[in-house]
Amino acid sequence: MFETFIQSFRLRNAYKVNTVIYSIKQIPIIKRILPDALYKSKALKIIGTIISIIWELCSIFLGKLIYVAAVIFGMMSLYEANQTGAFITIFTFLTIAGAMMNTYMFNPTKDKYYAMFIMRMDAKKYTLSNYTYSIIKVIIGFMPFTILFGLMSNINLGICILMPFYVASAKIMFSTYSLWKYKKSGITINENKPIKFIWGIVGICLILAYGLPYIGITIPQLGFAIIGILAVIIGLICIWYIKNFDQYREMYKEILTDDNINVQKNAQDIAKENVHKQIDISEGITSNKKGFKYFNDLFVKRHSKILLKSAKRTAAISLFIIAIVIFATQLNGEFRTKVNELLMNSLPYFVFVMYLINRGQVITQAMFMNCDHSMLTYSFYKTPKSILLLFKERIKSIVFVNLLPAIVIGLGLPTILYFTGGTDNIYNYLILFVSIISMSVFFSVHHLVLYYLLQPYNISSETKSTTYSIASFLTYLVCYYMLQVKLPTTYFGIGTILFAVLYSVVSLFIAYKLAPKTFRIRV
Amino acid sequence: MKLIVEGVKKKFYKKEVLKGIDFTFEQGKIYGLLGRNGAGKTTFFNCLNEDIKIDEGKFIIEKDGENRRLNISDIGYVVSTPNVPEFLTGREFLKFFLEINEKTIQNPKTIDEYFDFMKIDKEDRDKLLKDYSHGMKNKMQMLINIIAKPNILLLDEPLTSLDVVVAEEMKQMLKEIKKDHIIIFSTHIMELALSLCDEIVILSNGTLEEINRDNLDNSEIKDKIIETLKDETVIQ
Repeated sequence: MFETFIQSFRLRNAYKVNTVIYSIKQIPIIKRILPDALYKSKALKIIGTIISIIWELCSIFLGKLIYVAAVIFGMMSLYEANQTGAFITIFTFLTIAGAMMNTYMFNPTKDKYYAMFIMRMDAKKYTLSNYTYSIIKVIIGFMPFTILFGLMSNINLGICILMPFYVASAKIMFSTYSLWKYKKSGITINENKPIKFIWGIVGICLILAYGLPYIGITIPQLGFAIIGILAVIIGLICIWYIKNFDQYREMYKEILTDDNINVQKNAQDIAKENVHKQIDISEGITSNKKGFKYFNDLFVKRHSKILLKSAKRTAAISLFIIAIVIFATQLNGEFRTKVNELLMNSLPYFVFVMYLINRGQVITQAMFMNCDHSMLTYSFYKTPKSILLLFKERIKSIVFVNLLPAIVIGLGLPTILYFTGGTDNIYNYLILFVSIISMSVFFSVHHLVLYYLLQPYNISSETKSTTYSIASFLTYLVCYYMLQVKLPTTYFGIGTILFAVLYSVVSLFIAYKLAPKTFRIRV
Repeated sequence: MKLIVEGVKKKFYKKEVLKGIDFTFEQGKIYGLLGRNGAGKTTFFNCLNEDIKIDEGKFIIEKDGENRRLNISDIGYVVSTPNVPEFLTGREFLKFFLEINEKTIQNPKTIDEYFDFMKIDKEDRDKLLKDYSHGMKNKMQMLINIIAKPNILLLDEPLTSLDVVVAEEMKQMLKEIKKDHIIIFSTHIMELALSLCDEIVILSNGTLEEINRDNLDNSEIKDKIIETLKDETVIQ
């Protein structure tokens, strides 16, 4: 048994170390310096092993420290009820929830798949030895913190020591129940996809954990001692069941399906699948346009989930917020003055808002994955004429879709301004409206032009262009910085409008000149 | 019509994949392009298709005694994993393609005639391409590439993943259309190359070499091909 454990531990370690090296190799500049032979390097393996041991230690202690300190001890001090009782009550019920959500045994992970199915290790030995290890980790990991925080909450030392065993027993009991259920009905449990029944119990536990101390009901120390000892006794009986269970291999065959662990899939494939799902399959979508207009029209209609529908939703939410703000300003004079001041000085704030609600990046990603990814292999699609014709159609749709919420916000801001006492300069109403609209157009143009000039994806939809990543990040950074900027709306508004117009004209011109050369699949 | 490849070179970082390719492909023939894994077949196709820029050399089309540079509209490229726009139906894709190529397609047929030609069933024609099987997507891709009658047709392992019936249909179809095109067909299956292709070309050590088939029976040719392929010194 111990041998199996050592083997599986080494296997898991090799896998973790290679993952560490692989991640290091993904960093752009380092990638070129480091050769593939890296995976052979002894020194790096040792460093990787050290990192993975540190990680293992963190997983034993750090999580539990945060859990006990923040989720239990931290929350407890918010209550007025007796602290000792509150600690015990929260701990007791959260443990029940945790036993169901965090079983180790029913967590479908890749290392289990590799060990049991690729390396053909004995499923029972593998599971039992690793399960024992995980339970020991629970006990050792909890012990220092239940003692430390328990004593700080005036809990008897004996109770503090009992607590980790209670946690382990709760986990063992739930695992036994799950094994029993599988044996009886063939139903497997996947802790990452809990069924409704389990969600229900978890919900009740959460309510009891935080609710009971709130109304002054807590579990006394003696009560917990009884619960704890009872749990440990039942837990010991359960161990016997787990040890004698003989269908581990069959059960894991069901738990470790491709779907659960994504063995064959990487992040890109999952992203691709998600984008594919956005295609609207409802019948009756047609178009009476021709050529590229027809093509683009069908694209827009079949992607309304991320285009028009999403824009309408944003517009509706914006309208709702604006209505509430207007309503609130009528009730409260102080709020009214503040909002007025905000509108006159914090227009830069809306650069970030407009950045967040712009769908440009999502749309261009869908354009690539659901359309250009395949179409760019056809030569007729890559002729300069085709590229520019489609670019023209796309810029129209992307601007149009994003204008919908922009118009709502653009009209909403001057309206709020009017209701909060107006402004000395009548032009400010107009400036607010036009600058919001031009921000929206700017972001739409910006995303599409970046996409056409840098086309960052390769055939398997990985982002291959560092320039694109940097450009996107800079865009975010600038917009985020705008949150800090305070400038009079009149000047900032006029500046924004001029900038947006200039940027759009220049970048559209550049895209028109260069896109026929740059719009290719990256190899 | 001829496709003349002159001194084409391509490097990735320090690795020279194409080391000066000189070759002339002729109309009416199917060329079987063989090469070991990593020999550069796909790179060569990507260069022809302008997906990658070549470092040196040029591609020239000789037609009616006149020479000109190869351009993107000369090429039809059928890749091994079929690429079709998933959000369109088969009919919509075809309609779109026919509309934007109105001026260049001679004697266009109706959409259904094209479907009939490619043996795509009636009930499949109005399904979204995302729900097409692998073989059907492949047929769609092939169809789009041959309607426009590009001068050069590049086929990258196109038959490997098809069932035997569809593969046979495709082979017949390629034989039917070869008189109007230069067809370059890359594959790992030697039998397929020998039965379908008129010429066997080997990409090895970064250059193209034609296997002379004269007076050799199939097993002698096979030996010769294996011999040539084994010479490949740089294998990934």
